[in-house]
Amino acid sequence: MPRHYDLCARVQNGFAARLRRIAVPDTKMNLAISNVLYKEGFIAGVSRGDHVQPDSEYVVTTPDNIATRRLWLELKYNNDEPVLKKMSAVSKPSKKIVMKVEELQNLAAGNRAQFIKGLQPGEIAILTTNYGVLELRDALEKGAGGELLCRAI
Amino acid sequence: MASPALWQRCIAASALASTSRNVTRTFTTTTAVAMARQRPGASKPTVARVPGLDHPGTLHNLSEIHPLLDHYPRKTDQDGSLNLETPKLWASAPPLDNMLKNQADDDVDEASLPHGLTKDDLKKFLKRALVVKRTSNMTTAGKIPSMYALVVVGNGEGIAGYGEGKDDEVARAVRKATNRAMRNLTAFDRYDDRTIYHDIDHKFHATNIQFRSRPPGFGNRCNHYIHEICSCIGILDISAKVWGSRNPMNVIKATFEALSLKQKLPEDIARGRGKRVVDVQHTYYGANE
Repeated sequence: MPRHYDLCARVQNGFAARLRRIAVPDTKMNLAISNVLYKEGFIAGVSRGDHVQPDSEYVVTTPDNIATRRLWLELKYNNDEPVLKKMSAVSKPSKKIVMKVEELQNLAAGNRAQFIKGLQPGEIAILTTNYGVLELRDALEKGAGGELLCRAI
Repeated sequence: MASPALWQRCIAASALASTSRNVTRTFTTTTAVAMARQRPGASKPTVARVPGLDHPGTLHNLSEIHPLLDHYPRKTDQDGSLNLETPKLWASAPPLDNMLKNQADDDVDEASLPHGLTKDDLKKFLKRALVVKRTSNMTTAGKIPSMYALVVVGNGEGIAGYGEGKDDEVARAVRKATNRAMRNLTAFDRYDDRTIYHDIDHKFHATNIQFRSRPPGFGNRCNHYIHEICSCIGILDISAKVWGSRNPMNVIKATFEALSLKQKLPEDIARGRGKRVVDVQHTYYGANE
C-alpha cells in the first residue's frame, strides 16, 4: 500500500523532469490528494488508465487487470517553469502530525504550529479530516482539524 | 558656408602659399586668386609650388581630395568612400603598461543603463563600498599588493547592483567597482515597496541565508551587509539569518542572487494555476489608500 509520500515524490520528480503526465498507483488516497491538486490548479487533469496510457473509454477494475491500473496526472507548466515546485510530506509514519482548528488557523496565517512552518503565499496544505481529504482553507471553512498529509508550493 | 574640413584645407593651402612671403593671414581660395592677380608687378598668379604638380596657372580644386595635400590616412565613410568630412586617423603609440593599469574603468555610458535611467539619475544613487581589502599576488618577484573593493549602488526605489574592482590605489579600485556596479543594475520586486513577497532560503557557495518577510514598521533586522543592501534596494522590513560562512563577498552575492531570482509574485503563481488573486490587505483593509 503506497503511502502519501510516494505520491509527493512522484509528482515532484515528474515536474522536475518536465514530463507531460505521470502514472501513480491507483488508490483511494492518491485519487483524493490528486483531486485536491487538480482543484487548486497544480495539475491539468486526473484520469484512470493502465500502466501504458490513460483509458480512452471506461474500463472496469477487476482482479485480472488490477495490477496494471494507474492514475494518470497531467502536469502543468507556465512561463517555462513548473507550476508545482515542491511537494513534501508533513505527517510521516515516524512522526504523525494531527492539528486542531486553532493550529490550522496559525498555519494559514503564515505562523508556525507544532514545529511546522506556516504557509507561504501560494502554498497549500492537504489534510485528511472527518469530511474527507481537503485543502487546509476548505477544512477551516468546515471547522475541521485532522492529520496534515502534505504541503505543496 | 564652407565646411570645417574645407576651411582646414584652405588654411593649409594658404600656409603653403605664404611660405616665401610674410603673409600670415588666412583667406579663401577666391580671395587668394584675386589677391594673386592684383599683386603689383606680377605677371602670373602666385600659387603653391608643389613639386610634380606645379602647373603654372592652375589652382588645386580644394573641394576634391588631393593626393598630396590629403595624404594623411582617413577612415572610410559608411559606404566605403573617402571625402573631406571623414576624420583623419593618426597612428598612436600603444599605451604603456602602467598607464593601462592605472586607468580607472571607463565611466558608464547610458546605453548600458536599464531602461529609463539617465546619467543624472546615477548621481542620486546611494553608493556603499562594503568590502575594501588588500590582496596580494604572489609571484617569483615577490608579493604584489593590490586593493580590492566591492561597491553596492542603489536608488532606494527597487534598483540596485554591485560591482568589484581592483587597483593599486583604494580610490581607483572603488571607482572601478562603482562603475561596474552601475553597469550591473537590476530591478528588485518588493511587496508594498517595503518588503519581500515571501520567505526565501538561498545557498550560495558555503553561505546559506534565510530571508523572512515582515510587517510594516519591523525594520531591517539582519546581517550588516544585508542591511546595507536593503537600504540601497529600498527594503524597509525584513528579517534574515546567515547560516554557514559569513564571508562578506559571498553574503553580498548571495543576497543579490536570492532577492532577484527567487521571488515569485502572487500574480504569476495565480496565472500558472488559473486562479484569480486578490490582495486581502489592500482590498478589504484598505492599506496604502
